[in-house]
Amino acid sequence: MKNLKKIGWSAVLLTALLGTTTAHAMDDAEFRSQFLSGSMDWSEVTKRAQDEGTVNFYYWGGSDIINLWIDQVAKPALAEEGVTLNPVRITATKDTVDVILAQLASGKGEGEGSVDMLWVNGENFFTLKQQGALWGSFADKLPNSVNFEWDNADPRAQLNLSDFGTATDRMEMPWSGEQYVCAVDRAHVSQEETPATFEDLKAYLEQNPGKFAYVKPPHYLGNTFVQSVLYAHNPEGTGAEPFQLSLEELGADKLAALIEPGFAYLKEIEPLLLGGPQGNPRYPEGPSELDNLFLNSEVHFNCKFGLYGVYAGLITGTYPETAEEMIFPAGNMIKNKSYLAIPLNSPNSAAALVAINYFSSVASQAAMMKQAGMPAGLDTWKLAEADQAIINEAAPPHYGVTQAEFDANIAPDTNASLVDVIEGTWLEVIERGSDKPIKDVVAEVVANLK
Amino acid sequence: MIQHDRPSSHRQPLSLREKLQLAPLLLVMLGLFGGALVLGLLQSFGFAPWFGINEFPNPDYFVALWSSPDFWLSLGLTLYYGVVSTLLGLIISVPLALAFERRFCGSKVLLAVSRLPLMVPYSVGIALALIMLGNGGIISRLAASLGLISDPGAFPAILHSHWGWGIIAVYVWKQVPFMTMAILAVLLGLGQGTREAAMVLGARTHQVFWRVTLPQLMPGIVSASLICFAFNVGAFEAPFILGGGYPETLPVLAWRYFNDANYVYQLQGMAVIVSLTLVSGVILAGYLFAYRRFERKRGRL
Amino acid sequence: MASASLRSLTFGQKLLILAVLAFTIGPFAPLIIQSLAFRWAWPDLLPSVWWLEQRQISPFPLAWDYVLSPTSKVLEATVNTIGIGVAVSLLCLLICLPAARVLARANFRGKKRLEFFLSLPLLVPEAAIGIALLMIFTGLGLSGTYVGVIIVHLIPTVPYMVRMLTAVYQGLDQGFEDNARVLGANDWQVLTRVTLPMLMPGVLAGALFTFLVSTNLFLLTFFIGQGSIVTLPTLLFSQISGGAMGATAAGIALVASLPGLILLVLSDRLIREEAFALGIGE
Repeated sequence: MKNLKKIGWSAVLLTALLGTTTAHAMDDAEFRSQFLSGSMDWSEVTKRAQDEGTVNFYYWGGSDIINLWIDQVAKPALAEEGVTLNPVRITATKDTVDVILAQLASGKGEGEGSVDMLWVNGENFFTLKQQGALWGSFADKLPNSVNFEWDNADPRAQLNLSDFGTATDRMEMPWSGEQYVCAVDRAHVSQEETPATFEDLKAYLEQNPGKFAYVKPPHYLGNTFVQSVLYAHNPEGTGAEPFQLSLEELGADKLAALIEPGFAYLKEIEPLLLGGPQGNPRYPEGPSELDNLFLNSEVHFNCKFGLYGVYAGLITGTYPETAEEMIFPAGNMIKNKSYLAIPLNSPNSAAALVAINYFSSVASQAAMMKQAGMPAGLDTWKLAEADQAIINEAAPPHYGVTQAEFDANIAPDTNASLVDVIEGTWLEVIERGSDKPIKDVVAEVVANLK
Repeated sequence: MIQHDRPSSHRQPLSLREKLQLAPLLLVMLGLFGGALVLGLLQSFGFAPWFGINEFPNPDYFVALWSSPDFWLSLGLTLYYGVVSTLLGLIISVPLALAFERRFCGSKVLLAVSRLPLMVPYSVGIALALIMLGNGGIISRLAASLGLISDPGAFPAILHSHWGWGIIAVYVWKQVPFMTMAILAVLLGLGQGTREAAMVLGARTHQVFWRVTLPQLMPGIVSASLICFAFNVGAFEAPFILGGGYPETLPVLAWRYFNDANYVYQLQGMAVIVSLTLVSGVILAGYLFAYRRFERKRGRL
Repeated sequence: MASASLRSLTFGQKLLILAVLAFTIGPFAPLIIQSLAFRWAWPDLLPSVWWLEQRQISPFPLAWDYVLSPTSKVLEATVNTIGIGVAVSLLCLLICLPAARVLARANFRGKKRLEFFLSLPLLVPEAAIGIALLMIFTGLGLSGTYVGVIIVHLIPTVPYMVRMLTAVYQGLDQGFEDNARVLGANDWQVLTRVTLPMLMPGVLAGALFTFLVSTNLFLLTFFIGQGSIVTLPTLLFSQISGGAMGATAAGIALVASLPGLILLVLSDRLIREEAFALGIGE
């Protein structure tokens, strides 16, 4: 309300001063509909962005090198375009999603929120989209959208068009394409001992009990590990394929049948996990705790999203010097993208568009790879040769595994509507140690979600 | 403590001026603190017009909560941390205060140094616990360098375990200086007369401690342990970071409810907090009541 | 004999003091080392690579270089912590000074009950106050603002301040004020020339203690500040909430300990044990 009033007043003022109504005095809703209809010139957006001045960017602030890159590179670059980037570091994206939903619920609609853009994917995007809390299909209307494949016919466009099985509908712009990669400590694990499948891992743990841990679901890193276990144990042998369907399409009973062997495996290895031999299996709460366990030789493997995780761990001193990458689980390494989205009630939506356009540029993506160790999110085949070279050159080194080997072992993410159910099932079966049949547990979790 | 006989020991109504002088304090206490209490209670009974929810009085949130076994597990865990760390704190603080009462050479400096945990945020204590007590922590490394263990997994789990010694260590670390100061304050107010007299009359050291010193210290012990217990059951950071997962303490549980995107859960979270306040209130009142009976028996009240 | 044995420490007491000191301040040594480390893995008792060795070759600021850079927000948090602390102390004094005078001198019905009520905020879980108030504060537009945080900090500080100031007033001989009045001083002169100077040590002690409590508050700042007001305790919490300690987290923990350390040196003479005679439940 306040903002609307402010804009209303400035419109009156401008009319009085210039004698005409100028474009950037239009209200947020009008700007949104004009931009989304594609009838607006980009120069009008940048002009409005300069008037707005600031963009509040909410993102997970747990990595020093990402924070430094945002402050030292992105901030000055956007300042040149007349936009002040205000990075707001959060510990969990879900908190920000909740803030946006709470604001909308309390009547703070278009232009009246506090979040201009956020780093998001998977369940959080699903929630925002489902609640109608997104600004609109802006992504293919940015000048730098030419760096991305939007053609439905090209299977390589899937990661831009679908986020955990939810259609992105271009309501978020791809930012970084990550892969779930495990690191191995060569001080403890030789090349021959390195597991490639979940059965290998179990065999290794029987020899070295307690030396593996995965992040606790519902943290997305834990969810991802569980998903790759489920793919590999799919009783129909179709791997990730059925997990692309939504809960409604698949049905709870079918899901229960698909995940039963996977959960049996998770239960089997529990006594072999960190703390398991002492009778108290422990699941780290997040990546920094897992890094610490890995550094201290409490575990011999470190699985998380991090195509350049070993590189980042080595330059920050958080990984042992003997860390290397490995291919695990072969053929089921989940690859996905994370995105930048604008919430419906963004108070500086033009500035957010300008910022997201900057983050999608070749220069910005190259700097992000080089300094923050984050893989690029753009699609290299869409780039001119010179730009491809820039991206290739900016890529940090790999340790022990080649990019081609990584590319050969990818699997897609699980549909977001299934993630909630799998998460709930994990909490009941593994954390609370329930002995109920999986079918009943899944039915209960599904009932609770509604 | 010694009650001074004030010149005006009869009660008088307050003058207007005195009432005005009390007003700002009462405004803060009644308006802000009292308001928060009342509002919390109303919310837990379904009063939240800002969400478009007004079903007061609706006991469903309490019914749902109290009928779930998880709640009782969490409550038990919360009280366990509160009681054990308060007791441990007392066991350390009482003898420590008695030691510091003897103004020995350097006692002032040592006392000041030992007060450091009182002066820094709780999260500093948590940081220290992370660095010292984990399986990869300093104590585990010392054990390794002494040849006691050869793998960090062999070190007993102190953090993230359900017995929560890490959480208790942080509480004790922070509260020992506080309790010591409160008890020392009473000791300094008492002087050593009675105890010296008892010694002269031939009482043994432990007799003096149990029969004379401890009863005299009760006011300090009661105040300090009340405050520490209340704080421990209401604290959030330590169990959140150092806890062992499910089941979680009530403040952490409330936090999770409160953070849920589905705001109806916020009322459920408020019910958790109100239940916690009620339980801790009953325990504190019972404790105070027992203490007063004890004092009455001794003829002090 | 008896008297002598009460004055000197027994062996057990010496051991106890040593053990407590090792327990309370000992862990700060590894914290300082951690803040200077680059890679420090089990079972090394000292880092295998120090920050200074890595400093020249690292492409980005490490450890203290990061802590002291604007990216870490340490400076912003320090300024916020101190600013809020000072504002809370002053506001708290303003509220409690007149009230303490009445509580110390007047004897009215319900005074005991009022005194008990005044200590209640110390007995009610902070989370209850924080969550309940967040809803009203959000409605009033106070959440996420300095004003909101300062107001909510009054709740846990007022009980201490009132108690300490009441004790000061009780120790103050009313005769001096009366004498000054007899000699022709007006109320303002009595206050500024007689009462305040005599109250000064107690007022300073109360203000320092309030400042201390305010700078250490986490949960209320966290709830009411809504993440947009960063103070040292909230910054440290977000650093360590992942459950691991690195060099930057250790550095921030040390910075967060600084205000307390400075106050410890300053307040040794000001904060007396007597202030802690809390006397709940008398």
